Amino acid sequence: MTSRRIRRKSGSVVSQVRRHRHTGGVRTSGTDEPLTPRERQRLIQLVVCAGAFVLLVAVKLLLPERMAQVNQWLSDALQKNMDVQSVFSAVGRAFSGQSDLDGAAQEVYRAVFAPETEMAQETAAPAGEIYETAMDALRSYHKESEETGQTEVSASEQTEVSTLAYVRYSDENLPEDVTLEQSILGFDYCTPVSGVISSDFGYREHPVEGEERFHYGVDLAADTGTQIVSFAAGTVSVVGESSSYGKYCIVDHGSGISTLYAHCSRITASSGAAVERGEKIAEVGETGMATGPHLHFEIHKDGEYLNPIYYVADL
Amino acid sequence: MWQIFDGRVEISPAFFLLSGWFGLANGWALLGTVVLAAGIHEAGHCLVLLWKGADIRRLRISALGAVLETSSGELSYSAELLAVLAGPAANLAAAAVLTLPEHPPVVEIGVHLMLAAFNLLPLYPLDGGRALDLLVSWAAGPEAGERAARWSAVVTAAGVCAAAVSVMWSTGGSLWLLPAAAGAVGYGAAELRQGHFVK
Repeated sequence: MTSRRIRRKSGSVVSQVRRHRHTGGVRTSGTDEPLTPRERQRLIQLVVCAGAFVLLVAVKLLLPERMAQVNQWLSDALQKNMDVQSVFSAVGRAFSGQSDLDGAAQEVYRAVFAPETEMAQETAAPAGEIYETAMDALRSYHKESEETGQTEVSASEQTEVSTLAYVRYSDENLPEDVTLEQSILGFDYCTPVSGVISSDFGYREHPVEGEERFHYGVDLAADTGTQIVSFAAGTVSVVGESSSYGKYCIVDHGSGISTLYAHCSRITASSGAAVERGEKIAEVGETGMATGPHLHFEIHKDGEYLNPIYYVADL
Repeated sequence: MWQIFDGRVEISPAFFLLSGWFGLANGWALLGTVVLAAGIHEAGHCLVLLWKGADIRRLRISALGAVLETSSGELSYSAELLAVLAGPAANLAAAAVLTLPEHPPVVEIGVHLMLAAFNLLPLYPLDGGRALDLLVSWAAGPEAGERAARWSAVVTAAGVCAAAVSVMWSTGGSLWLLPAAAGAVGYGAAELRQGHFVK
């Protein structure tokens, strides 16, 4: 843009061309003509590339295990990335007044420096046995609740449910911020979408990554565009977008309890809006890391992930 | 270099390589959003340049961004400054417009804002570096302008490079930032090499 600099650079390019014309095209062997800077640069590049090639071949032949480690490290490094989409989303939400600067800064920090701790990321399973007993118990509990067909639960009913639904489990091998204990929420709630549970809370084979990981919510499969309603009365605290969650929102229900709705095709509620139990807040989609249209639903209480299976019913 | 429109637009293969890498790492939709925002940015520059009567000779697109070659030598400092700032201003205007719907597209807004902020870094030849050069030149002469642009570029390049390396280190990846870090170092080094232009 600044013509002064462009002219300066154009001038230097022209003078290089003139030098090349002056020195001619083919260099004959045996001449004492010194290398031009351009030729010297090319020669250095050739030597460096050839040296790197020879070195890599030698290392692969002499230290195959070490080379395999390096390959693995490079492969991992190519796959690990900060969540750029989440960074843009945080900045956009701050600018459009959907979140304050402090919240945006925290989200940017998390997306850049600790994307693996971002809410919807899944934790790799520990080595050894995964607690099938606990998972089986949860599944059997879910079957019992299916038989009741209950989609709305009032606060007064929850004490009985809790007493009946005692689940034996071990906390060993669970991620630190997860509890399998059923918590009394203390408010009325309902199932956020009419769908079929396609993936439970707990360890599972990740549908995209393939490895065994902890799934921090339940997936409710439904057609794209199916309405998602608020689990309970509260305030929409976050409307965002990330590479893993896609379009998502979080509703704060007070008393340290919040719910997250991810992979939505559209968020219809605005950040900061007060919503009632059963009020539409979003529509089902498959944005982010998803293999089909569904709602990924999480319940958080005081920084811990609760098992939503106690609180939702599917079709 | 791949040339189109009678050589008025040049696109380097490295641009496609880096774009492909970014798309694979961060999603093709996000890449499209970034490219669209970059197009609006360049359109902002072009509109003001044409308005001020400058001739746009060529648009060069490389892995490190786009550069407009113009014959804006006859433009006044104020007109050239306006043209330089028009790019980031176009992104800020687009971001402001996108906040109007009931459910604003926050990612798109963020892309425009980040692109504007990045281009306003005082790192020549980014818009911020050019604007600093023009402002100081306007106030204290071209030598002072070049000196200010050069040293701000060196300091900013070091900062950008350190930030990119820090992110790559902490995430154990994000290697697509490597060309940006190398580009920043290249710009800073180029400014240092041009020291003899200032007597």
